[in-house]
Amino acid sequence: METNDAGVKHYQLSFMGSGSTYFGITIVNWLLTIITLGIYYPWAKEKKLKYIYGSTALNEDRFAFHGTGKEMFKGFIKAILLFVVLFGLFYLFIYLQMPITALIVLYAGLFAIMPFAIHGSYRYRMSRTSWRGIRFGYRGNRTELLKLFLKGIFLTVITFGIYGSWFSMKLRNYLIGKVRFGNLELEYDGHGDEFFVLNLKGYLLTLVTLGIYSFWWERDLFAYYVDNTSVHNGEQHIEMKSTATGGGFFKLDIVNMLIVVFTLGFGYAWAVTRTMNFVANHIEMEGDIDLDSVVQTEENFNDATGDDISDMLDIDFIF
Amino acid sequence: MIRTTARYFDGISSIPQKVELLFDEATCIFHFEIPVIGYTQWATDEIVIEPFETVLNIHYKQDTSRFIKLNDAEFINQLNLYLKEKGKLSWYQRVIHLGFKVHLAIAITTIIAIALAYSFLIPLMAEKAVVLIPERFDNEIGQTFYADYVLLHSIDSAKTATLQQFANQLNMHNNKVLHFTVIKSNEVNAFSLPDGNVVVFTGIIESMKDYDELTGLIGHEVSHINFRHSMKMICRDLSGSIFISVMLNDANGVMSRIGQSVHNLASLSYSRKFEQQADLEGLNLMIDNHINPVGMTDLFMRLKLNTDKFVPEFISSHPVTHDRIEYIKKAITKSHYQVMDHPKLKSLFQEIKR
Repeated sequence: METNDAGVKHYQLSFMGSGSTYFGITIVNWLLTIITLGIYYPWAKEKKLKYIYGSTALNEDRFAFHGTGKEMFKGFIKAILLFVVLFGLFYLFIYLQMPITALIVLYAGLFAIMPFAIHGSYRYRMSRTSWRGIRFGYRGNRTELLKLFLKGIFLTVITFGIYGSWFSMKLRNYLIGKVRFGNLELEYDGHGDEFFVLNLKGYLLTLVTLGIYSFWWERDLFAYYVDNTSVHNGEQHIEMKSTATGGGFFKLDIVNMLIVVFTLGFGYAWAVTRTMNFVANHIEMEGDIDLDSVVQTEENFNDATGDDISDMLDIDFIF
Repeated sequence: MIRTTARYFDGISSIPQKVELLFDEATCIFHFEIPVIGYTQWATDEIVIEPFETVLNIHYKQDTSRFIKLNDAEFINQLNLYLKEKGKLSWYQRVIHLGFKVHLAIAITTIIAIALAYSFLIPLMAEKAVVLIPERFDNEIGQTFYADYVLLHSIDSAKTATLQQFANQLNMHNNKVLHFTVIKSNEVNAFSLPDGNVVVFTGIIESMKDYDELTGLIGHEVSHINFRHSMKMICRDLSGSIFISVMLNDANGVMSRIGQSVHNLASLSYSRKFEQQADLEGLNLMIDNHINPVGMTDLFMRLKLNTDKFVPEFISSHPVTHDRIEYIKKAITKSHYQVMDHPKLKSLFQEIKR
């Protein structure tokens, strides 16, 4: 690690994975998932995450994912049971000719599951991720998240979706703010009004330009996620900055699309590694934290339920 | 014994520690010395090896945050050879080590296997499933559809009664009670439902010139019912669609989309097969009733002139009219038939046409 006189350190994110290796992993995963009638899915996910995390490096040291298929399989089973119960109730009320109650139960159930799923998946993913042997951790409180979530959903519904921007920023601020990396703390500082204007502008200009502006909208979103994320250790900090351009996203997306379409889907692995490469190469970091000074603080834990529920509900977080 | 220098992380701090790493190929044990703890050894069953393109990470199982990072290509190669020889590589690592060409071959073989299963296994299973499904379901589907349909369309009750009488004169080898309905509509169309309901539009009746054409139409529609074409279509369509999405969703979304499109095309050709079967079986029914089978070609020729739109809407299907006329003509020349005059059918037909 280079250090200059002002104490400013050098940080370099990079993605070292190759499309052909990842192709092998996805093909073997696919085949095994088919042969085992889907049971292999959690193990497939383990292999996938291990490769993607392990190919992402900070200052040439790779991140590591320590989760196992067995852990995720248990979570997978719990998630399935939860959905069976929820849909069981739904059909029970339908059978009892109470369709309104059935719908309320279903939606209330799904909304209630979401914060638990997010909480669980953050806890699991972070505790199973490490860099140089130092574990990440998520220290959020389930009740706090539930309150934040219910309030957010309520306000979003009564404002016909407008509050959604504020809600998603509050959620992100909370979730990332509770992430620890050893003795370092992560922070996200997003504002609903900025996020709202960004999306409104992106949406309108995308309409006016018949979709062309969508790449610049993507650039703005990426920058908004990256630029507002920072790492802290007391007075010391690392700030992040996006260097991605609209043209860069244009090239990334169009080429990815061509690769995937012209290989009838087989080229998907290369689209993933190209994207990871693009993301890693367009995040710049600056600050004065010495990465040799990080100390282990987080404990291990065992509960993978959240990881699979959020997968099934398709909640996607950039982080 | 092979050796290299590596970096050790102790799971307490992020500071890398330089270590001399020795691997004893006879015992498959790693030896190294670290400050504070001193001399350490890890056996292969105590560790998880995570190989990447140029780097190898050796994690200690009990505490995965303790690991050794290697990037000496020669050492990694030799280590892999020893581990392979000693059978210490897991089956998964061996499969991943097979390389790109083998993986591509696996992918292509899998796709071919899926295509074969889809083309041969699924239709076979769907046909078998139809036998297991009670006819009650056919009836329920038909009745529900019929009830909804007649709500939105106006029935010509006089013609309905006459058409029913007309059909009752014929032996259609039907195992279900046939119930005919004439709908007031200029549309040149007719369709059958799996419960034995046959719906005919006034538009198609008006375009006919003789009763043998009407018999051809009835024969076609009743054949759909006799052979449970609707239920076969539902089974085949559902099983094919579920099969494709289960198989390809595990790969990726794009492949799944492509698969569904192929499935839609395949479904169309499948329903064309049913149309052809209904045409030919309808023809046999005409012959059995001593009706001139040429009525069937007449019907299609007239429809071709009128519009190309003679298709039962419930199961959309379209052999090109020209081809239909050709294969029906061929079937007629091959068959032996005896035509008899049917004054009763003739007079009923005149009544419907009125």
